[in-house]
This record gives sequence, C-alpha cells and structure tokens, in this order.
Amino acid sequence: MSWLLRRNMLPLHSNSLARRPFASPLPLPPASLPSPRETHIWYVVPDELKDASLLYQYMELLSPCERQSVLRMNGERLQKGALLARALVRTTLARYTDGRLSPKSFKFQKNRFGKPEVEWDKYDLWAPPPLQFNISHTSTMIACGVTLDLPIGIDIEEKQRKTSNNILSLAHRYFSPVEVAYLKTLADPECRQSEFIRLWTLKEAYVKALGRGFSGTPFKDFTIRLEASNSKQVTGELKSDAPSIVVEAVDDPGILMNRWQFALFELNNSHYTAVCMERDVKNPDGENNSLKLEVWRTLPFVEDECVTETDAVKNIIR
Amino acid sequence: MASISATAKSIPTRPRHSLQAVNGIFGLKSVSISSLRRSFPSIRLQPTPMRFRVCCAAKPETVQKVCDIVKKQLALAEDIAITGESKFSTLGADSLDTVEIVMGLEEAFNISVEEESAQNISTVQDAADLIETLVAAKSG
Repeated sequence: MSWLLRRNMLPLHSNSLARRPFASPLPLPPASLPSPRETHIWYVVPDELKDASLLYQYMELLSPCERQSVLRMNGERLQKGALLARALVRTTLARYTDGRLSPKSFKFQKNRFGKPEVEWDKYDLWAPPPLQFNISHTSTMIACGVTLDLPIGIDIEEKQRKTSNNILSLAHRYFSPVEVAYLKTLADPECRQSEFIRLWTLKEAYVKALGRGFSGTPFKDFTIRLEASNSKQVTGELKSDAPSIVVEAVDDPGILMNRWQFALFELNNSHYTAVCMERDVKNPDGENNSLKLEVWRTLPFVEDECVTETDAVKNIIR
Repeated sequence: MASISATAKSIPTRPRHSLQAVNGIFGLKSVSISSLRRSFPSIRLQPTPMRFRVCCAAKPETVQKVCDIVKKQLALAEDIAITGESKFSTLGADSLDTVEIVMGLEEAFNISVEEESAQNISTVQDAADLIETLVAAKSG
C-alpha cells in the first residue's frame, strides 16, 4: 500500500476508509467536454486497486442488472474486471455532466445491433451533453473512450499477447487479402506478431465504431492499411505528409471510407490501443484534421492523472 | 433446475485473501466478491430459461474435449469450473479468443465451422453439439 502514501492520497491511518464502506464516495472532478475532433480516453489498471472497500463503492454505482452480470462472471478475477468496467463507464460519463448526474444515475440501452449507449433522461432546464462511448478490456487494463456526439470504437490488446494459432493461418481466415499480403512481407516473426495484434485492434475498433457487431461487419470485407505504403512506422508528432490509417471495402478498393478516422498507439507501455471515430463533417476543418487524443489514467474516487503528453501514450499513428 | 445449480457452482468461494486486499500496516480486512454478494441481498441470480433443444446433446467426451480446449485458450485458473452450461462471455473470452477457440476446435475435430454457425455458439454445450453435427455430416 506504500504507493498510496507516496501519492499522498490517503491519510496514514486509513481505518476511516475501511470502516465506512458505504459512505458516499468523494466527488469526481468535473472534466471539460471533448471537442469535435477529440476522443477522451480514461483507463484503469485493475492491479492498482489494492483497497478492497473501493469494490463496495463501485458495486453501489451499478444497476441491479449490472450487478447480476458481474456476479455471473466465472471467478473472482473476471468478476472484479467486470465490476471495474461498469464503474469506469459510469464514473467517466458522470465527469462530463458538471456535477449534475451521479455515476449511479446513468441508464443504458442497446442500439438495434446490440451496441451499448446512454439512455438520456429529459430535463427541463438542462440538456445533457450527447456523449458517446465505447469500452474495451483485457485482464490488465480497462479503457473507456468518450466523444461528443460521434460514433467511437476502441480496442486494447496486451503487447505481449501471443496467439495459439499461427499468425498467417489466422490472417488467411479472418483478414482481407491486402492485409494478409502485408503481414507476409514481415520476415521477423516478432514483428509479424505485433503487427497482427495492432491490425486486429484497428479492425476491432472500426467494427465497434460502426456498432453493427462482429457478424454485421465481417473482418474479411474491409482492409485497414496505411495510405502511403513506403512508411510503416511514424513516431512522435504528426507531419503533414505523414501516412495515415485508412479503411476501404475489399469490394471497392481505392475508395477510401473517409468518414472514419483512426489512431493507433501504445498505452502504459503495456497495450496496443486503437481508436476509430467518425469524422465530424459539420466542422469546416473536419475533413483535414486528424483525431486528437486526451488520455487519463484513473482509479475512480481515488486518483486521476492526465497522461496525454507523457510516456504513457506513445508511438501514435493516425 | 440444472441451470441454476450450474450457475451457482460457477462462483467459487475462494479464500478471503484472494483479492490481494491490504494487509500489513493498514490491517484492512480483505473483502471477497462473494462477501459483496451478502451486502447486496437484492441480487439473486435469475434462472436462465431452458432452451428447447431438438437435437440430441453431444457426448460427454466431446463436451470435455471442448472444455479442455477452451480452458487452455483462456488460460483459466485451475479452480475455475467449466461445464457444458458455461457461457463464453462469462469465461472472459474476447473476439480474438473466440476465433482462436473455433480454429482450435476445427483442428482437434478435423471439421470446418462456418462464420454464421460460430456466431450462434454461446455455451460450451453449443460448441460440442455443433461439432458433433459437423462430424456426423462429414462421415454421413
């Protein structure tokens, strides 16, 4: 527990926290709304949760239905992950309501394809911000992306993730011909492994942004690639002639689906992260501007840290 | 009903310290998810409706083989119980796990699974039933 002392977050004697498991949580600091070009990402690292009374606080935020779903997960590790995911979504959205909505008060529904979205109540004197969100988790991280009124998909995978099956077998089965050809050009097996995972996260993020589900947008039907083929990796800041991530239908190659913009980066030195967001065409600059990211590491009710310009967010490709 | 008992079994009572809660200088008692359940008595696991299955259920050996493949793919801890009733979603399978499990099953049983059929699998039993249908179709 020494990290809590180091970060000065708890008094030395934290019996107060232990003895009041049902006390109302500390208020969440409000956050400014994302701009039309922005995706905000809030992520939590489950292993950082050392204070078990937090689990009570998080459980309190959930609807009865969500609690049941959490407890249906098989084993404590998965239950804790499911609980954290719901707590992350609720607390993240609440931050953007200027203190007007508590995490507990949110209601959710599914669109006709099953994608979760907020079900907003009507208020007399206040219009809630039209937030859209998407979450992704691995056993070691849960991430929630938020936009203002634009469809968004996010996917994270552990950088070290190994596949049981051969990469090319998986690619032949599930990726488009152009993507398979690209992976075949990579002779080094580790490079091929990591490029497979990165491409997988991009494809997942796109499918989730569309919101039609895995079967509604088969992986084989679209290609994601870099537009300028002579540059595979771009690190650091964006250059105007930098290659960009694009998506095209396999049946319609060369016709880029400009409606969708992407970002691919490394998060917390542990995860490849892909974000797909619909471009804001109402904005006159929307056509030319790439996706802007703001990223926070959080442990809701304990600590938030903006990590956007830090080493926790790197190797960004857009 | 079989489905309730299967569901209840899938929440093992693990030792209280398993959540790695604080010990040592702060002396906080560890809290397990199962003790959280006692604090929220309104939570009762709803029975899953029995689905009317026309075809015969797969042989226990097939179910067991599927369980083994799934357990290996998902790297589940030894004490996590998987049965035919186990749902892939509650086992923490993401989409990459799911496609890997499908490919693993194809290899183990020497069959080919269509994407549409794969989408309809939600439990281990579903997978085993589908496998036996495909195996029978191959040899028939």
